[in-house]
Amino acid sequence: MMIRTITAGMLAAAIGLGAAAAHAGKDDDTLTIAWGSTGPIENVDNYFNTNRTGIWFSRMVWDQLVYRDEKTFEFKGLLAESWEYLNDTTLRFKLRQGVTFHNGEPFDADDVVFTLNWISDPDNGVKVQRNVNWIKNAEKVDQYTVDLHMKKPFPQAFEFLSGPLTIYPNEYYAKVGPDGMGKKPVGTGPYSVVSVKQAEEYVFKRNDDYNWGSPKGAGKIENIVVREIADVQTQIAELLAGGIDFTADISADHVEQIATVPGFEALQAETMRTGYIGFDAAGRSGFKPTTDVRVRRAMAHAINRESLVKNLIRGDSKVIHTPCFPTQFGCDVNAAVKYAFDPSKAKALLAEAGYADGFEIDLYSFRPADWNEAVMGDLAKVGIKVNFTKMPYFALRDLQWEGKTPMYFMDWGSYSMNDMSAITSHFFKHGPDDYALDPDLKQWLETGDTNVDPAVRKENYAKAIQKITEKVYWLPMFSHVRNYAYVASLDFTPYPDEIPRFFRYGWK
Amino acid sequence: MLTYTLKRLFVALLILIVVSALTFSMSHLASDPAMAIAGETASAEDIQEIRRIYGFDQPIWYQYMAWAGKALTGDFGTSYHYREQVSVMLAQRFPTTLTLGICALAFALLLSIPMGVLAAIRPNSLIDRTALFIAVLGQALPTFWFALMLMILFGVQLRWLPISGNATWAHFVMPAIALGYYSTPALMRLTRAGMIEVLNSDYIRTARAKGLRPPTVMFKHALRNAILPVVSLTAVQFGFALGGSIVIETIFNLKGVGWLSYDAILRADLPVVQAIVLVIACFYVVLTLAADLLNAALDPRIRVR
Amino acid sequence: MVAIDNRSAEQILEPSPLAKLRRRIFGHYSFLFGAGVIVLMVLVALAAPLLAPHDPYYTDLSKRIQMPFWHADTTPAKYNPDHLLGTDKVGRDYLSRLIYGAQVSLLIGFSAMIISGIIGTTLGVLAGYFGGRVDLVINFIINVRLALPVFLVALSVGFVFGASLEIVILVLGLFLWDRFAVVMRSITMQAREMDYVNAARAIGVSTPSIIVREVFPNVLNSLTVVATVEMANAILLEAALSFLGFGVQAPEPSWGLMLNEAREYMFFHPWLLTLPGLMLFLLVLAINLFGDGLRDVTQARERA
Repeated sequence: MMIRTITAGMLAAAIGLGAAAAHAGKDDDTLTIAWGSTGPIENVDNYFNTNRTGIWFSRMVWDQLVYRDEKTFEFKGLLAESWEYLNDTTLRFKLRQGVTFHNGEPFDADDVVFTLNWISDPDNGVKVQRNVNWIKNAEKVDQYTVDLHMKKPFPQAFEFLSGPLTIYPNEYYAKVGPDGMGKKPVGTGPYSVVSVKQAEEYVFKRNDDYNWGSPKGAGKIENIVVREIADVQTQIAELLAGGIDFTADISADHVEQIATVPGFEALQAETMRTGYIGFDAAGRSGFKPTTDVRVRRAMAHAINRESLVKNLIRGDSKVIHTPCFPTQFGCDVNAAVKYAFDPSKAKALLAEAGYADGFEIDLYSFRPADWNEAVMGDLAKVGIKVNFTKMPYFALRDLQWEGKTPMYFMDWGSYSMNDMSAITSHFFKHGPDDYALDPDLKQWLETGDTNVDPAVRKENYAKAIQKITEKVYWLPMFSHVRNYAYVASLDFTPYPDEIPRFFRYGWK
Repeated sequence: MLTYTLKRLFVALLILIVVSALTFSMSHLASDPAMAIAGETASAEDIQEIRRIYGFDQPIWYQYMAWAGKALTGDFGTSYHYREQVSVMLAQRFPTTLTLGICALAFALLLSIPMGVLAAIRPNSLIDRTALFIAVLGQALPTFWFALMLMILFGVQLRWLPISGNATWAHFVMPAIALGYYSTPALMRLTRAGMIEVLNSDYIRTARAKGLRPPTVMFKHALRNAILPVVSLTAVQFGFALGGSIVIETIFNLKGVGWLSYDAILRADLPVVQAIVLVIACFYVVLTLAADLLNAALDPRIRVR
Repeated sequence: MVAIDNRSAEQILEPSPLAKLRRRIFGHYSFLFGAGVIVLMVLVALAAPLLAPHDPYYTDLSKRIQMPFWHADTTPAKYNPDHLLGTDKVGRDYLSRLIYGAQVSLLIGFSAMIISGIIGTTLGVLAGYFGGRVDLVINFIINVRLALPVFLVALSVGFVFGASLEIVILVLGLFLWDRFAVVMRSITMQAREMDYVNAARAIGVSTPSIIVREVFPNVLNSLTVVATVEMANAILLEAALSFLGFGVQAPEPSWGLMLNEAREYMFFHPWLLTLPGLMLFLLVLAINLFGDGLRDVTQARERA
């Protein structure tokens, strides 16, 4: 009796969803967003969290010196009006005048100098040191001119200056520190923060003084409320019930389903996040088969990436052949050795390597089981039995660093940086996640990362791409898509760097 | 009574010591906290340095003593992930979980005691069977499944109740029902069994023989006696509710201790996990101690045993 | 709660035939139902390779989420008569996975119950039989165990060691023995005072053999009742763990894991959630009814 009622209720729910959702969003000019499926922002101070949503937060509240155009990838002035290289390691910035922080503090060189010096001091413990450890120091030239000194030539400097390096008000930050900034953030950005309820809710209000010609543009919607909701299904329930207006944490199937409900829109958009399968080529885990390049090539031929992209990831996701995202600087697609889906060739390679009867291997991933199951299904068809372990990201990363993962299906968002050093160099310069430990790679990537001549950089990066793909240290898989669902009244545009510009969105 | 109390108190303390030692050593043997603290960009030397600073290179018993000493003063260390005092985080999250636990138990008791009493008055009547049926169903319904059904029906479909968060009392209705429903069968069975036993006892027969009105007999004499074991069980169930709230808090996005423990496990945030285990153990120990003492005070025979 | 067989001779002989008969019949029905479902599930689990129409692991991405037969008329394009109950999100036959799921749930429930049964019974019998200090120590151990939050510990273990079928069984087995211990302890205590036990002791029968030959047969009924409760408990806990992703690992066809995977579709294809949920519900219900019935049949007083 009870069971039948419940089943009936469920079916009714499925059918009854057609009813248009009543949402207050547009009426009171308040956009309610749910995010947080990978956990809440630990501290909304931009320098003390490693969350992607932390980046989303920071773009609303703070500004950087430089802005990277999201379409042309060209650098434009933001808090800096212009800049020039004085030499290989010194950049001079002319700052914009007439900008004020949300607390009324005027913006000038002191703020920039303080921020850059404070964050680059290792004692202050900024969480992602690689964002700041290339900075030597900053010097005030006059009230609106600043010199930035780098430790060594650093060609990717603008990726950082336009990304993670937000400028803080010197007087306020010196007084309250990361703790105070986390509770009451103050910046120059298009939205000011009304309240922060850690791990639960952030309330923003449009900054009406944001009219000094920022390329970001002034905010449109008056109020934005962000709710940290960890569970994706709960987010969708809220969306369908009218509790929230926007989510970006859903799956491809959700997009298909929600798009059919009147009053809502859903879409998929390709991102820079690059999926890959890593193999233990160096033998760190003591697992033998993957140290044989023929075995790795066999697996590259056995896995049907096209089918995975077409059926599971969908949207405009593409198969990727490079260990980096093709728009990134240095990521030369022509340098990559490509592997077509060819099970019989895979079998032949396995036989040649002495594994005609296949073998068993452990696969680790923190991504959805169905992606891995598709890979497992493909490998089973050439005789490789895969034991799959799904782990939370942090547990898996620890395991990886301990050298215990013979095969892993992971991905990397490059911190939204359009430079190959943000991904390939991160993984193949003999760090804890390097399972290739190839000395050539280390050398080429090092040259590519530090040489100021773009041609030299490109040449070295191309060599690295060629080697990684030829030896199949990684099997690059596909570009991820981010899936969005929102109320139909929201005028939304996605961006490939996975950062929604909430200040750009208005109502239709 | 005093000796009994002291004896029980001593045992309770001993239990907490063993539980804390167990959790501490298990978590420290199982994973390397230095790596968790060091973060993404750390080198091998950084990790060594962190080991030294945090004292992870000391023998485990020494580390435990240091930790336990601090824990006694309410200092559970700092979260690796949030870089905040664990005690502060717990204090911030506990009200939500406590509210949920109390609401859930209130729901369970409101449902189970009347049903148990009614069932006991007329064993094998329709009421009894219905009660039994509900109890059996309740035991077999996976909590999370039930929670999802509630959410779909009352949250999304009918829109009677808010789905997630803890902003108002209405936000606690669905989670409390989902969590409390699981405790109902055990409480109801115990009420029923206790009532039947008491109703068949000599002094109730005497009371009835003396011509006291049935309601007086029922509520003044029978229920009061039958409720004792229910009180004990409620205490235990409250501890379970705290532990069981992990799934419920995750589903309904209540940012309480259950959610915090799940989040901390996902991030290998050991100090938080340890502190939560210990606090839940404390709850259990204190509640059972209180129930035992209450029982002993009401029933002198227990003290002698 | 605690099932104690302390009927006096009068109570057993006390005639209340009509009431008893009614009770028996009622107990009988649910008991029969429970036993029947369990037997059916066990048969399904054992004969899974024969019954399942497809390989439960065979993925086919071109056949994702085919509809079950009752949606055949509404969405004919997504219905394939080859898959009576549809397919899951990687195109595996749902019916076959549900059938194999019985294996996983029963295996986990049964193994965990056996492990915890052995631990709990041993401790309980020792405490009950020897009393005194042994009892004190064992009582203490039981309390320590009760003070530890099972679910939290199981999650942590799953995180540290990577979750798997074996780990789930082991953790649940090592944690669910408390009820066994408590019940066995009090029953053994009473059995110890029985005349035939005293008699055996008097004629010099060794302690282990008294326990095995005299005490044990007397507690078997209560043991079975506790065993059913714990088995149901273990199955539900496994489902909850798998639901959070810390239980059985993909692609194992566990009902709990299937629920986890089906959650994504709860608003639009709820049947994916309903089916494994229903199976889980049915199995746990059956085990509980079986246990209750057993108690009724063997223990008239409890239901008096």
